[in-house]
Amino acid sequence: MRYLKPNTVGEAADLLESSQGMILAGGTDACVYMAEGICDPETLIDIGGIGSLRGIETSDRYEEGQAIRIGACTTIAEVAASEALPTCLRQGAQAVGSPQIRNLGTIGGNICNASPCGDTLAPLLTLDARFTLRSAGGTRTVESADFFTGPKQTVRKGNEILESIELPASVRSKASAFRMIGNRKGQAISQVNAAVSLTVADGAMSDVRVAVGSVAPIPLRLQALEGFLTGKRIEDITLEEIRELVLEGIRPIDDVRSTATYRQEVTISLVFDAMRECGEQVTGEGAGS
Amino acid sequence: MMIRFTCNGKPMEVDAPPETRVLDLLREELGLTGTKEGCGRGECGACTILLDGKPVNSCLLLAGKIAGREVVTIEGVAGEDDSLHPIQEAFLDKGAVQCGFCTPGMVLSTKALLDENSSPEIEEIEEALSGNLCRCTGYGKIVEGVVEAADRLRQGQTRDGE
Repeated sequence: MRYLKPNTVGEAADLLESSQGMILAGGTDACVYMAEGICDPETLIDIGGIGSLRGIETSDRYEEGQAIRIGACTTIAEVAASEALPTCLRQGAQAVGSPQIRNLGTIGGNICNASPCGDTLAPLLTLDARFTLRSAGGTRTVESADFFTGPKQTVRKGNEILESIELPASVRSKASAFRMIGNRKGQAISQVNAAVSLTVADGAMSDVRVAVGSVAPIPLRLQALEGFLTGKRIEDITLEEIRELVLEGIRPIDDVRSTATYRQEVTISLVFDAMRECGEQVTGEGAGS
Repeated sequence: MMIRFTCNGKPMEVDAPPETRVLDLLREELGLTGTKEGCGRGECGACTILLDGKPVNSCLLLAGKIAGREVVTIEGVAGEDDSLHPIQEAFLDKGAVQCGFCTPGMVLSTKALLDENSSPEIEEIEEALSGNLCRCTGYGKIVEGVVEAADRLRQGQTRDGE
């Protein structure tokens, strides 16, 4: 096996183009795949040490209203701890694996691994995140909602590296929350996860985003539900009235972690809880100011 | 590839393929067998080491990634004269060790926690140990051991400060 450790993302993109190698970020998924023989790459390109891929920057000066840039090799632990980031993304990051895994694993790895149950994915969808992909030929930007195509499958091409995640300026004024359920609190893979982000103006919800994971081949937005919630007051919404809108949007299956029926019921509750927490954030801020 | 890093406070140089797991580098190349292999998949935490002070699974860490960085294993926790670390003493006194296989990882996760937070709440202890599985104790005595270790370390600091 060849193990390459480029110093810049440009160098990494050139090596990827010429070697057809596999990108290694934190290694928490890649090492399991290699240990289980699921993959046996001839070339590993370790991008974890590239400085420009690390860290969280906030600015008003990014183009097209982008306000926060997260380097793809920022660790999950750093994302969970960053006060610059929206609540749902921090909560999602905190739900990933164990402390040991969060210290190694990266947000870019969680995105590119594209597991339907990845705990940062539903939060990123609700925040209208965009992903910047770098290849030897240049960069392109993909909306998070268009990135995932199937379990462990994305629109990222073999010669592309996920360079950064950008969040729009709108996230600064939004409330957001994440919920997951697993077999135990730590080190558990989500049986279902859900994230909600929204703005409240004059008591009514606007700019509502709801996304769920582990209930379809890809993390999903529930746009019919978003439309239903828009213009309504959080405290007026009941579990019963969102029920059908959640169920018509998801396609859960029976698998080793859970059953489809259980996932259906839990998804409704998690979405409802996350929405209610958004409401508490809004009221809490109102009371504090 | 020559990999240079700091191991338990000492500069270390090992010639090994960079795709070697750090777990194997420590156990096979350096004879530091206190780091255990449980699942080899990042699930159990028996292979926990500290990388730049933070707990990580050495089964999910490739040797190429530790160049220039600081690694602490269970062998680096005891004093120079082989005296036990207060965390290790507290674990013994509270019966937090049964078969012992998870203990090196538990001690290192505890050290990472107490280095950052000298008076953790029970919930913070449980969170810090959530990546370390123990099949013997049921965790109660381990959590008691961590509380006791935190007390002793705080008292030690007070004494040192006087």
